[in-house]
Amino acid sequence: MILREFDVIVVGGGPGGAMTAKIAAEKGLKTIVFERGRKSGEKNSSGCGLGPRMFRDFPEMMKELTPDVCPSMRAGVYARNYFINKDDIVTGMVMARPTESVTYEPAKSFITMNIYRSDFDPWIMNFAVRAGAELKTSTLITNLIKENGKVVGVQDEKGEKYKGKMIIGADGVISMVAEESGLRSKWPSHQVTIVPQWDFEVPRENIDKFMGEETLAVWWGATFPAAYQVFFGDGFHLGLGNWLFWWDKNPLYYLNRVVNIPYFQRLIKNLDAKPRELHSHLLPWASYPVNTHTDNVILIGDAGGFPCPLEAEGIYPAMVTGKIAAEVAAKAISDGDTSKKALDLYDTEWQKTSVGVEFESGKELQSIWRNLPFSPKTMEWFVPMLMELLGGIYDWSEPHTVRVRQIMNKIQSYLPDAVPFAMSYVMPLLAKVLGDDFEQLRTIPGLIEKLLPKKKSHKR
Amino acid sequence: MELKAIAKAKMKEGMPEHISGTGDFIKVDHDKCVGCGRCIVICVMNLWRIRDMKASLDEDYQEKCLECGGCYQICEFNAIKFHYPAGGTGVVYKQG
Repeated sequence: MILREFDVIVVGGGPGGAMTAKIAAEKGLKTIVFERGRKSGEKNSSGCGLGPRMFRDFPEMMKELTPDVCPSMRAGVYARNYFINKDDIVTGMVMARPTESVTYEPAKSFITMNIYRSDFDPWIMNFAVRAGAELKTSTLITNLIKENGKVVGVQDEKGEKYKGKMIIGADGVISMVAEESGLRSKWPSHQVTIVPQWDFEVPRENIDKFMGEETLAVWWGATFPAAYQVFFGDGFHLGLGNWLFWWDKNPLYYLNRVVNIPYFQRLIKNLDAKPRELHSHLLPWASYPVNTHTDNVILIGDAGGFPCPLEAEGIYPAMVTGKIAAEVAAKAISDGDTSKKALDLYDTEWQKTSVGVEFESGKELQSIWRNLPFSPKTMEWFVPMLMELLGGIYDWSEPHTVRVRQIMNKIQSYLPDAVPFAMSYVMPLLAKVLGDDFEQLRTIPGLIEKLLPKKKSHKR
Repeated sequence: MELKAIAKAKMKEGMPEHISGTGDFIKVDHDKCVGCGRCIVICVMNLWRIRDMKASLDEDYQEKCLECGGCYQICEFNAIKFHYPAGGTGVVYKQG
């Protein structure tokens, strides 16, 4: 058997692996990328939203994304939030577009560009192939080859061996590269979520007709973890997730609870939507990526725990870390030093990026997500409290002055839950995000005091 | 319709295509399994049973498994071994 040798071996052909292979090949490195599917994007990849940062940071690539090559693509400017109480009733909704503080295009024009990965992943892999990387599909890499305890190559299921100066683990949430290289055993159950998801088929013309410029919706529930609904050219996904330790029933039970909300049923009837495909994904949702590299090995994307700690956006972080991994690998190979110490540069570099900035508050962001949208128990009081604030006044049941008092009293009844929640989860996040500016918050009570009219003494 | 019945009907409709030839890609180490049943709860496709106090997979799991690896991840006793199916086989997501 001929042992083939490469500079860079990429295990996994998703967007992160494709980006790594593209950059490595462009730098003149002999690069191979392995994909276990017959083509990229046909296995259980999960993320379906491209954030505007991709268009800002990779404009040359993204301008080639057109409906000809990616028929599922659909972007929209609005995100809708439905608030559902414990009786599965939609008590209200908020729809918003990018606000005036958003600074650049296309972030002002759309929230996400939605794509089916079965369209997008082969498209992005083509950049790697065009750059000269070799793509080997239908090939499962089963183990790593080691010499003197260091990883020097990979082996496929047929026993074929490939030697590489650098091995990039782009193999997703259950990463053979991470586990076999000793960087990690499987994820602890508080760092990984399971996400069941329905794909619904919708006649193409109905999406724009009924959803207008809506790109996605979040169903914030008091009986299920927050569910996302993402609209594509001819269908939508409905999914929800939670950390593995959370589930007391089959995850599908909670997902179908959303499907059975009367309001949702009405929506699918209007859209003429039909369930088309059931998916289930694991998704790492870590507060900080640790153990990202060792001698001759770098982990990127989901394999490295890089999805956004708040909303789990995964494609952009995978592409950013893939690009950096390729650049660091190129330098290490050219310097003739691919040791762990030399690859520490990888951490230094990703920490400087937009992805790194997000993780500076990773712990606080992850914590608020776990305790609010992923905690139906919290949502049980949060949803009605929010709706008192948003909707309570538009009501003709009593004189408006009476209504205001009723609302205030009701909100007061939620405070025993709301105040400890704010102290435990919201304040730490604000303190972290605002840094020194946090002190400004202390002036708010003073400001309110100044603005309030002086109490008049009632003289008759 | 009962929620369970709806789920069942929809599951049949939404079953993704599977390519045969996966090989045996999930295995249970019965010495380690304590029969806690967490794999039963987490499996979206409901492919696990408890037989003789041990976790056991349905025989046709290779034609139904969505390859999420939830069973492997949730097992606190490391009794479930999982690797992806042979290249080019197993579940195919057309709208993934």
